[in-house]
Amino acid sequence: MNTGPLSGERSVRHWLSELEPYREERAVTAARLAVLGAFCAHAGKSPDELVAFCFLRKRATGQRFLSGARRRAVNGMLEKFVAEQGWIGKDAVSNTNIVRSFLIHNGILIQGAVWREP
Amino acid sequence: MEFKRVVGTRRTIRFFEPNRAVEPEKIQIMLEAANRASRAVNADFVKAIVCYRDELTDEVRERLKTPTTTVQLDLAPVAIFWYGDLAFADNAQSRLKELVDLGALPVTHGWSHRYVDDVAVAQSVEPMSKDAMASTWAVSVESGLAIAQAMLAGVDEGLGVGLHSFDAETAKAVLKIPDNWIPMWMLLVGYPAESPEAGGQRPRRPLGDSFHRGQYGSPWDEIPEVTERLKEEGMIQAPMDPARRLAEIRRLAERFGLPL
Repeated sequence: MNTGPLSGERSVRHWLSELEPYREERAVTAARLAVLGAFCAHAGKSPDELVAFCFLRKRATGQRFLSGARRRAVNGMLEKFVAEQGWIGKDAVSNTNIVRSFLIHNGILIQGAVWREP
Repeated sequence: MEFKRVVGTRRTIRFFEPNRAVEPEKIQIMLEAANRASRAVNADFVKAIVCYRDELTDEVRERLKTPTTTVQLDLAPVAIFWYGDLAFADNAQSRLKELVDLGALPVTHGWSHRYVDDVAVAQSVEPMSKDAMASTWAVSVESGLAIAQAMLAGVDEGLGVGLHSFDAETAKAVLKIPDNWIPMWMLLVGYPAESPEAGGQRPRRPLGDSFHRGQYGSPWDEIPEVTERLKEEGMIQAPMDPARRLAEIRRLAERFGLPL
């Protein structure tokens, strides 16, 4: 599938390949890509850069690790992004979790909002 | 539920009905099950703080969340924070003498007040309590026994349960945990939003991989008739079916707006 301007990103290709077992309709995948693209524009980072942002290296050993602070920072960015887009209710939850899905499939355990029926 | 089916039905539930309240009566049954667990020197190793999600202030709830526990804490109506008490040796002497007087520690097996004073406490319990590694080992093992019983009691009451790690530093501050309690697990409790079998029983290796007879290297030889009986009685249940589980996860993700 043509993933548009994001197609050159290794992280995006990996994400889409991991979603194949769910056999989503093309329109659903296109909507996912639109949300990810808009968030990346908001954050000023490409998808690959966004994945890299979640990792830091230990000063002493140089070992790469998944940063809790960076994940909290991404969650903070997502909150601002939702406000900017004007999403509310389940749309706000589902759309931010599209970005988290992208990160999760790229090895970043990140959790955020849950939609609970009132 | 029959005991074997309770054991077979327990698994980590990760999707809870967020708005279905858990009856305090059922939580008390879980706590009593923990309180009835086997324990060395009859000490109260295990401690717990029961937190009802909707009774926590927004500030406390937010502080307890981490990027790895947000979903669980939002979905589960109850979180039980389990701790082990490093002060387990306090009053060990009087508790042991009580067991001697009651005949739980019988003279036939060598127990006496004198033995409690001179040997059991002075040479065993107290030195262990002052050794950081030994006391952490003891507290962890004894707490684990109690937590397991609480989980099984919850399953018997129709609840879903799941153990998770938690941010001990934040929890200590917001739950006002005493300095002598060390963190064990956070047990999430609620009615399952996923099917009670949660996709089927998790994979386990054959008994002989872990259990031996007589000596290491002589694996336990399974008796096929017993295995069949345990299937009939529910301790051994159908294994996970990945296709069915995938469909269930998709349904739950759509319901709760979760990432797929």
